[in-house]
Amino acid sequence: MVEDGSDGVLVRRVLDGDTEAYSGLVARHRERGLRFAAAMLGDVAEAEEAVQDAFVRAYRSLRICREPDRFGAWFLRILVNRCRTRGAMRRRSERVFVRDEAALEHAAARPAGDHEWREEIDRALARLDALQREAFLLKHVEGLEYEEMARLTGARIPALKMRVKRACDHLRVLLQEVDDARDP
Amino acid sequence: MHGTPDDHLISRIAAELRRPVPLRPDFDARVMAAVRRDIPSLPVRAWTWLREPRVVAMSPLGGLAMAAGLAGLLVVGAVSREPIADSRKPIADSREPIADSRKPIADGREPIAAASVTFLLSAPQARSVALAGDFNDWDAARVLMRREASGLWTVDVPLTPGRYRYVFVVDGRRFVADPAAPRAAGDDFGTPTSVVTVGGGALRAAGGSL
Repeated sequence: MVEDGSDGVLVRRVLDGDTEAYSGLVARHRERGLRFAAAMLGDVAEAEEAVQDAFVRAYRSLRICREPDRFGAWFLRILVNRCRTRGAMRRRSERVFVRDEAALEHAAARPAGDHEWREEIDRALARLDALQREAFLLKHVEGLEYEEMARLTGARIPALKMRVKRACDHLRVLLQEVDDARDP
Repeated sequence: MHGTPDDHLISRIAAELRRPVPLRPDFDARVMAAVRRDIPSLPVRAWTWLREPRVVAMSPLGGLAMAAGLAGLLVVGAVSREPIADSRKPIADSREPIADSRKPIADGREPIAAASVTFLLSAPQARSVALAGDFNDWDAARVLMRREASGLWTVDVPLTPGRYRYVFVVDGRRFVADPAAPRAAGDDFGTPTSVVTVGGGALRAAGGSL
């Protein structure tokens, strides 16, 4: 259950000693975090670890969160860096998207075509440069503006636009044929 | 994102990627268990205390450092060979070494020497300055800096060898990286932080002022 109150209210409650209030922030921001990390890392189990790691680091550093009302953006920044660190430790291109039991159960409830479409997307994402994949996900999946992306990644806006463009170009090449076959 | 077939394809890819990822039922519980395990408690009263303006004592060491030209971060020398567990209480010029909690500091066989690191910040207008870093779980309430008459703020912190990130907390709300120290790369938190490396008497960085 997502707690009432703004992120800022929850952050202040935690800083005032109510550790359990942090669970409200976890409930509120876990879904987006897992969605990003799973697409970024290509592994649901590793994505869960990355999100948990990011939540712990965010808690540990909560006092230097400058804008408690924008905890979500701050948390995403931490998560992006966690994913970069984990991604750097192994070559993403060698990985196949691994679905754990929960994921398989979820997937089974969806039409087979949807499942295959997702797998094709995961394979295509795996072939992108990591920074291009990250920029694509932040822009097109998370819906961030370039200014926010620049604050979050530390990269300049022209560089981010180029990464997104190249990611889109690659995805079109890799997935157009698959998409045509799905939707003739 | 509208109009051309290409844009339609990108939209369909994005829509698929926006689907929720299946979540283990105990995910929240595991996160909160990790949080509780990592940080036993937050010293809230000390933090509240820090945010209030107050008069603090003057350090002769800081005056000496000021005379030496605002050397901002000094490894004075090894002060202890006894690793001491992390403490939650505020310190100022404590001789207890603050261990890097991220790595084992002692296995019962080889004690690790701690060096006294002097952190300096010239901030004449500040009413309080504290030091937060990964050596104290970013808890500014635990390391309060002392003001010299000149407006130089200083604190000695015993640190075991390692690489540490830190930031000055001015008046309980402004987070200021050390103007004279290297910035931490890959800053996670959106707040610029500085880096000091302690090891074998090594000295990194110089001081700065606001």
